[in-house]
Amino acid sequence: MSIFTDTRVSRRSLLAGAGAFGLASMVNPKISWSADGPILKVRSYSDIQTLDPCFRLAAPEGDITSVIFAGLVVTTPGESWGWRPMAAETITQLDPLTVAFKLRDNIGFTDGYGQMTAEDVKFSIERIADPANKSPYSGDWATLKEVEVKDKLSGIIHLKQAFAPLWTSTLPTPSGTILSKKAITELGGKLGVKPVAQSGPYILKEWLPKQRTVLVRNPDWKYEPGGFAEIHIHPIEDEKTGELGYEAGDLDYTWTAVSSISRLKQTPPPKTKVVEKPSLAFVWLGMNQDVAPFNNPNMRRAVQYAVDRKAVVDAAYFGAAATATGIIAPGLPGHREKNLFDYDPDRARDMIAKEGLAGTTITLDILNKTERLTAAQVVQSNLQDVGLNVEIKQNDSGTFWTLGAKEGDYWKKLQMIISRFSMQPDPSWATAWFTRDQIGVWNWERFSSEEFDKLNAEGMVELDPAKRDVIYKKLQDLMEENGNYVFLTHEVTGVMYRDSVVAGLKPNGEPVFTDFKPA
Amino acid sequence: MIRYALKRLWLGAIIISFALMMMFAMVYLIPGDPASVALGPRATPEMKEALRERMGLDQPVWRQFANFYGSALHGDLGTEVLSDRPVLNVVMEQLPFTLALIIGGITWSVALGIPLGCIAAVRRGGFVDQVIGVLSVAMIAVPSFVVAIYSLLVFAVALQWLPAIGAGDPGNLASQLQHLILPSLAVGLGWIGYISRMVRASMLETLEASHIRTARAFGLPEHRIIYTYALRIAVLPTITLLGVGIGHMLSSSVFAEIVFARPGIGKLVYEAISVRNYPIVSGAVLVTTVFFVLVNVVADILVGLLDPRVRSSFN
Repeated sequence: MSIFTDTRVSRRSLLAGAGAFGLASMVNPKISWSADGPILKVRSYSDIQTLDPCFRLAAPEGDITSVIFAGLVVTTPGESWGWRPMAAETITQLDPLTVAFKLRDNIGFTDGYGQMTAEDVKFSIERIADPANKSPYSGDWATLKEVEVKDKLSGIIHLKQAFAPLWTSTLPTPSGTILSKKAITELGGKLGVKPVAQSGPYILKEWLPKQRTVLVRNPDWKYEPGGFAEIHIHPIEDEKTGELGYEAGDLDYTWTAVSSISRLKQTPPPKTKVVEKPSLAFVWLGMNQDVAPFNNPNMRRAVQYAVDRKAVVDAAYFGAAATATGIIAPGLPGHREKNLFDYDPDRARDMIAKEGLAGTTITLDILNKTERLTAAQVVQSNLQDVGLNVEIKQNDSGTFWTLGAKEGDYWKKLQMIISRFSMQPDPSWATAWFTRDQIGVWNWERFSSEEFDKLNAEGMVELDPAKRDVIYKKLQDLMEENGNYVFLTHEVTGVMYRDSVVAGLKPNGEPVFTDFKPA
Repeated sequence: MIRYALKRLWLGAIIISFALMMMFAMVYLIPGDPASVALGPRATPEMKEALRERMGLDQPVWRQFANFYGSALHGDLGTEVLSDRPVLNVVMEQLPFTLALIIGGITWSVALGIPLGCIAAVRRGGFVDQVIGVLSVAMIAVPSFVVAIYSLLVFAVALQWLPAIGAGDPGNLASQLQHLILPSLAVGLGWIGYISRMVRASMLETLEASHIRTARAFGLPEHRIIYTYALRIAVLPTITLLGVGIGHMLSSSVFAEIVFARPGIGKLVYEAISVRNYPIVSGAVLVTTVFFVLVNVVADILVGLLDPRVRSSFN
């Protein structure tokens, strides 16, 4: 009898079939559709700890607050940095010290907190600027004088001094978010992880710690709605885990590891767009000028000549990233075309021999990340080549980020570091950490220049892009001439998403959730 | 029996105190400043100092320990200063995910380990016994993170049968079970090997016992002798082994929770240590230590209840 005609079903085969059906029903039931429309599943690199824009700790918190609380303006996606009004109907810089705004008249707060008014704008901006509130972002409103309320919906932002980053890294970021004065006052002045008085195109429906944050379209939002009915944000710290989650079909959008970009571009997962975006971050090799042997300027210069930056960057980032010419990324005012001191090992050898420092052993402190270790190993090899020994010391993040702090003792031993800072699209964000008052805070190279401090202050208030370009180029020249820095790379950002999604990405690859749309 | 249980609980309390002291010492020996890590580069020295004060880090370590211990006795593990949430809430939110992972791991290990051990004992010295022996040792030898990564690559990425990340949709048991299969296999695989070896050895010993010989002499069917009489005794050491195994599974859960981006205590502690979030580290270690001690006490009491010889030896 053929197996096709034998239809008898035994008790055992029935049970086996039921078991198989049960298992099959559990296999991959990926649903990306809610009752109200499509769901977007994205990865963020950390979970939220607060939804108060004034005290946000990391970018993923900013990404969420930017869509659940309307700001005056919001960053636009695209290839260049820009903004568009959000809560503001009109917003205009009348002169370097004055910005006039008028709010849209039908932006409401949830939970019965009524309409957004100019009084809320005044409260929110002055709250961040007020030193008494100890917001880490008070510097975004460093030159604020006051916000004047003209009428229910109109007001004027008065500055004490011109402030160049106002339209790039203050107003379009969570530092320009408007909260309900009444709600925050009732909460005792601080918002936690349960948002009240939401006002953006999306509202937070659910937060499951370490699992996911669910945003849904705000039914009361009167303007262009977000492209997805729901956005599920999964906190996944490790980039590789995010990639695997995407490849398994659990995510629609994720950042990738820089080291994965080449592989993913060559063989992308099915129905996927892999995009490489320039990063604003900067990575450098730093030398502490207050500690031997780098208290000798010639030793610092020798290291600048000894390091083959291209080899370091190619090895660490698998050829995906380019070398940097400074700390200010291409596209921003102040980006330099070239370095002052480049790879010249013969010159390095001569200088080291002349100083009698051949055979010196130097400690290189790094964060325990794969690309930093690879970069450090190439630096180690470069310096070995010119007669210097390097011991690499890997640190976890909790240790690394305190190494050069003046509160501890390690800065007296700290010789060389490879470090990375991220930043916003204004050059002032790059240079701010290398002033003299940052020595022992974030200026671990203990670079000290009166001229640098003066120019850095000028750059903050200069509004002419051409003049700013000159100032910020000079600032980087000063850093490099002093010998403390070997500028390595700005890295790149790898992003991948389903081709069924039109991703709303800032020029550096960060998401603008409201601008994600189904293809 | 009550005296026995009380004695075990008293011993457990001493273990918890010792573990907490060790944890405090170790955490404070690691260099690093939680305020700098938490607040990031934009924080002023004054803000960092204020945060240190709020976290109680301006006090001597012994006082921090005394404060924590005193509060913990009243059920208060303090407040997580960054999110302003009670530490106990933060820890208890994550505990069920780790418990589910461990229960899943135990299910894998018991469901496969006991039958494999039984079969190996019954087929002693034969080909099947040898195959099970090799498999068991292999399962013990492979580290849980290797199992986690490869099972993820095969079943989630290549075959797309199972999800790769997360713990499933809240309130959807099928989704949660589906998300549990691979991580719990990673946590439990090694214990399948341990348990099968343990059950095999124990079964062989039991099958040689005089009451089994008597049962055979009375002509009882072999399957009844094995599964009703021998296995019941042979499985007793497994309960004690599982008590210890839960501790190991707790540590394995760190890898599984990171690789599968699952919530849970392991991941919580890992992340808290990396940013020197002392209140969370202390709270999570206390809760897991209490859990581990309780599991072992329960295992000991269970063995006492199931095996009259243990009860009588204590009396």
